[in-house]
Amino acid sequence: MIGMRKRVTVGFLSIVCLLFFSGMVSLVELSRLSRDTGEILSANKRNIELAKEMLDAAHEQNVALIHLSVFGDKSYDSLCRVSMARLENTLLVAQTEAVDKSFLDSLAFVTTELRLLTDNYLAFGVADNTGRALAVQSDSLAGKWYNNDYERLYVHLTAAIKNYMTSSQSSLAPRTEQMKKNAYRAVMPVLISLVVMIAIVLMLFYFMSIYCVKPLLRMNKGLGDYLAFRVPFVVKADLKDEVLELKEKIETLITISKQTKA
Amino acid sequence: MRVDVVLRYIGVVMLFLALFMLLSAGISYVSGMDSAFYPLLLSALLVTLLGVFPLIFVEKTEQITNKEGFCVVVGSWLVACVVGMFPYLIWGGEFTLVNAWFESVSGFTTTGSTILTDVEALPRGMLFWRMSTTWIGGIGVVMFALVVLPSLGRNKLTLSSVELSTLAKDNYRYRAQIIVQILLVVYVGLTLLSTVMLKIAGMNWFDSLCHAMSACATSGFSNKNASIAFYNSPAIDWVLIFTMAMAGVHFGLIYSTVTGKRNNMFRSEITRWYFGILLAGAVLIAISLYAAEIYPTLGVAFRYATFQFVSLVSTSGYATADSNLWTSFAMILMIFGTLMCACAGSTAGGIKTNRLVLSLKMMRARLRQQQHPNAIIRIKLDGVIQDNEALHGVMVFIVAYLMLILLGTIVGTITGLDLLTSFSGAVASIGNVGPGFGQVGSMDNYSALPTMYKISNSSLMLLGRLEIFGLIQLFFIKWWR
Repeated sequence: MIGMRKRVTVGFLSIVCLLFFSGMVSLVELSRLSRDTGEILSANKRNIELAKEMLDAAHEQNVALIHLSVFGDKSYDSLCRVSMARLENTLLVAQTEAVDKSFLDSLAFVTTELRLLTDNYLAFGVADNTGRALAVQSDSLAGKWYNNDYERLYVHLTAAIKNYMTSSQSSLAPRTEQMKKNAYRAVMPVLISLVVMIAIVLMLFYFMSIYCVKPLLRMNKGLGDYLAFRVPFVVKADLKDEVLELKEKIETLITISKQTKA
Repeated sequence: MRVDVVLRYIGVVMLFLALFMLLSAGISYVSGMDSAFYPLLLSALLVTLLGVFPLIFVEKTEQITNKEGFCVVVGSWLVACVVGMFPYLIWGGEFTLVNAWFESVSGFTTTGSTILTDVEALPRGMLFWRMSTTWIGGIGVVMFALVVLPSLGRNKLTLSSVELSTLAKDNYRYRAQIIVQILLVVYVGLTLLSTVMLKIAGMNWFDSLCHAMSACATSGFSNKNASIAFYNSPAIDWVLIFTMAMAGVHFGLIYSTVTGKRNNMFRSEITRWYFGILLAGAVLIAISLYAAEIYPTLGVAFRYATFQFVSLVSTSGYATADSNLWTSFAMILMIFGTLMCACAGSTAGGIKTNRLVLSLKMMRARLRQQQHPNAIIRIKLDGVIQDNEALHGVMVFIVAYLMLILLGTIVGTITGLDLLTSFSGAVASIGNVGPGFGQVGSMDNYSALPTMYKISNSSLMLLGRLEIFGLIQLFFIKWWR
């Protein structure tokens, strides 16, 4: 015989288990979601920082070279070297941190070309077609070098940096897709658990109503009728539990009461 | 009606489903803990909880009424379809709410239509659960539980008499309790035999088991996107033709044949009609395909024609070719096969050969009655005189069946589909066949079709599986005295 108390306890324990279970599932899945979101955001931020750093370095070097080649201001020599080194160091950091290094190949190639061109210029000035340094650098010649050789590479470099920035962003798409799946997985088990919980609560309500509340009401009415009008106490109890015991005890009490009166 | 008692027995069925979910989770675990493990385990836990709950409160009863038995059976089918969605929904992928419902209903009703564009992307555990739904549904959700659970006593008789249609009980010469056991023996035996034969024919063990489960349930679910065409093997084709054809025969007759009883399938009028139609249909389609130069030789045409025709008539729905490309004559014959379907007492759905033969005999009797107005004409089937109530039931069923097809076609056209797709889709769904023509052809799926159409067709599947009035009756249960 399973008593009423045990039944009610099991019923409520089931609900508690489901609540705990759905809570745990959502907690695990949401923390995974939160971790993924954090990772994506920090990767995104880092990528923008590195790209900005490279663009700044390239711009600085460009300004320095304009001053050097066009205006002949030698004081920009060191700035040119420093910014080139800054560009290369940032690229190295990006290469170390990148998950997919293929996005950085073209950027590394253009940076190497730019380094060679800049080093050549700083060492020998403007070279002729055979690579021989010209003894006298005229303003127009340096301007031509800047326009024909350097600017072309500079444009390539900035394009490669921008490409790195956008490509890295697009490489985040699969992770975002995975994140979407995680969000779905976080929601769906909880939703299903909730549906199951609603079904269990409804069943519990129904069973409590027919096995506990109704027999008590019937007994109450039966006892009331017996006391008021001496109507025989006949109450139906469906389960072999405490309610049945109570009913039997009331019947015994009525019998004893009748015997005492007799 | 005692709702608590109904809930108790539905709970038993749910526990049984949870067992299969656990089994699928086990397969998933063995296959390297694939992505289906967690959804299957989770679903099994939830379904167990749902199933156990009424068992705690409601005590075992000695007798259940017919009305309660009816509610247990119909309720179990509906609840099975609902809880069958859980693993799909938790797993995600292509399974939205409507898609998961469609796939679950399609599985349990053994229709075999799918919303999946890439079946091969499913992990092994999920594939096995998909096949389990169809295997359980093949013999009947409640029937399966009845066999497994020996403690139901007299209630077993009530439940089995509700789930087995009157026609299905015709060829049995046993008590209801034995009928249930015979059903399971034949079903499991045929599945095992088919698994071994498919393995010998060249499939791996997992695919063999899955396809055998699906073929014996006349479902047509496959683990491959291209269905059986993926294997391109005549041996596999012929093994499946045998399995599908046998799964369409009355299980009691198969048992009698194997055990050497007199009332075997060779003596059965219905079985002779069934095999006759299968052979005639396959030959006619093969000639039509060969004449239209779709296949180079008559032998090849016969192989493809037999496979596709047997697949449709047995309500399996496997495919080895795109029948959309076949001749109009072949198409109309196949639509006839989809309407007629296999024998009562098998795992197949549809109008069934029994009703078709009876309606033909009624037509003949009507003609003879007009010629001889005073004659008393009896209609016999397998030597047994059919009473008027049974004949009336057959005609009412056929009319209701055709009306529902019309309704399904109308819904299809409302959602913007062409007539061929709407009509053949409705015919294939209510008959629990699976593929039709047009956008629901043998090599297509339901993924891109409108949501409304998916819902309407899944309702048709349930109506077809529960022999129409079973499901409709549920809405009028209040007036059942």
